[in-house]
Amino acid sequence: MSNWAVISLGHRFRGDDGVGPYVLDRLRPYIEPAVPCIESGGDLMNLLEMWRDRCVCLVDAVDASDLEIGAIVRCDGLSASVLPSHCTSSSHGFSLKEALDLGRLVQAMPLRLDIYGICGGHFAISAGLSAAVQATADIVAQEILALINTHNGGAPCTSTR
Amino acid sequence: MTKSKTIKVDYLARVEGEGALYVRYDDAGVHDVKLKIFEPPRFFEGFMRGRDYLEAPDITARICGICPIAYQMSAVHAMEDALGLSLPAELQALRRLIYCGEWIESHTLHIYMLHAPDFLGYTGAVAMAKDHPTLVQDGLNIKKAGNAIVSLLGGREVHPINVRVGGFYRVPTRNELQPLREQLLCARDMAMATVRWAASLPFPKFERAQSEQYEFVALSDAGEYPMNRGSIVSTRGLAIPVREYDQHFREEHIEYSSALHSTLVGRGAYFVGPMARYNLNFDRLSPLVRQLADDVGFAPFCANPFQSIVVRSLEVLYAFDEALRLIDNYRKPDIACVPTAPRAGTGFAATEAPRGLLYHRYSIDDAGKITEAKIVAPTSQNQKTIEDDLRLMLPKFMHLPEKNLQAQCEQAIRNYDPCISCSTHFLQLHLDKAGSGNTAGRIDPGEHNVERGA
Repeated sequence: MSNWAVISLGHRFRGDDGVGPYVLDRLRPYIEPAVPCIESGGDLMNLLEMWRDRCVCLVDAVDASDLEIGAIVRCDGLSASVLPSHCTSSSHGFSLKEALDLGRLVQAMPLRLDIYGICGGHFAISAGLSAAVQATADIVAQEILALINTHNGGAPCTSTR
Repeated sequence: MTKSKTIKVDYLARVEGEGALYVRYDDAGVHDVKLKIFEPPRFFEGFMRGRDYLEAPDITARICGICPIAYQMSAVHAMEDALGLSLPAELQALRRLIYCGEWIESHTLHIYMLHAPDFLGYTGAVAMAKDHPTLVQDGLNIKKAGNAIVSLLGGREVHPINVRVGGFYRVPTRNELQPLREQLLCARDMAMATVRWAASLPFPKFERAQSEQYEFVALSDAGEYPMNRGSIVSTRGLAIPVREYDQHFREEHIEYSSALHSTLVGRGAYFVGPMARYNLNFDRLSPLVRQLADDVGFAPFCANPFQSIVVRSLEVLYAFDEALRLIDNYRKPDIACVPTAPRAGTGFAATEAPRGLLYHRYSIDDAGKITEAKIVAPTSQNQKTIEDDLRLMLPKFMHLPEKNLQAQCEQAIRNYDPCISCSTHFLQLHLDKAGSGNTAGRIDPGEHNVERGA
């Protein structure tokens, strides 16, 4: 039985912030229900429960002025230092870094955490994804699909279309 | 001459949403308080026009990732009012049960992660968890029980999808509720411990003068502690049916805020939320909750907003008690939903979101398309009262060092558990001491157009 999950942060109605939910929408037809696609509402406490003891791919928009819109920031959430400037998402002023810190303190950590940050440029309400972000999102969806298929014994898939 | 200072906090954690606070003061007093917030619901009202009436609960649920059930509940009740539908008692009970789950989730998040650090002297939940990991773990376990209710009845715990106009898409069997019962029983014990712990916290002393007393506003129903039904009542004698809301409450645009300020016509600011519910409905709480309030010395009327954490903890306990009662009395409805058919009309509803009264009004045409929508969220209604609190509170705390004064302001805002824009996350706080000549801390309306969130 799969112990993987894909979790998105971000608000689907706030321009490029909706890239996480967009990636989930792309993946659902291919991996659910075996691998749940969970759109986080931004509640940190829920996030700790969602990822506890799971292998997780987490997708979020990031706001990094030194990177181009559409750039991908990949990191291993369990071993790498998560830059606060790349992780101001989540809710109530909590950052992803704080979620990780808190998870370690209360033993609520994932088994594996692959973070995909996609640099956005426009976060206005109902703006939709910018073209560069959408193109990157499709690449990230393919990467996640290949990763999950590989670890679940299936042939790597290179297309989500 | 007193040295002037400006205190600036760019990212105030532990409030839900995005906004800014500006306070201008000097040794003589507080001259200006502006709570500037950004509220998506106005945009959602626009989204709704032209959509099908059946879509209202799922679209409005997206306003907030923390309290989607509240939006679903107000939406379905307003639509059912427009359609002239009434639901069987079993379906009403299930709606109350799912609301219990959301109260538990939302209140527990606020109690443990957002508000508790203020009282224990920590900058945030992570710092607090280093010294009090068990406390945070208890919070997680209590909240998990609330999640289980929402997940079972809502179809999933985040952005639930099972609520519909006329009832639910699917209703659970009695057997499906039994494992939930065991989990709730265990968590209820932790909720009782939470009440005792919350009541023992050190509270800043703040009560308004007689001339500045709050007007608490909440739903009230003779038969139950309010969630989904009741008339709107206040501590100053207001008693109206929900459909008269627009005649008694006004929203006005304030230059510095994109959210509308709500006031009671001819009376001004008012206060919605757990304290209002508690103060107006104490006798409808369960015997267990009333007894525990008495045991910890917490009076049936609370006027100190810093003690709202105790009220929330009592409401969490009530939600567990009520959920268990509903499960014990549960009989699976014969139908999951009452059949609906569109007809032209206008419907009104107010329900009690965790943060307070949530008003929805919809007009639909013969084809069931929404022609007008109005949504008034609790935080919008409390904005002016929060500003008034700060205006009245600050003179009492002027003796504090500025750092502590700033912390007191932040804590005072968190008393209301403001859900500022429901999914974006920063509130900038500027304390500007008059005469400093330093305008760096002043709010520029364009400064907050950077919207960032999740």
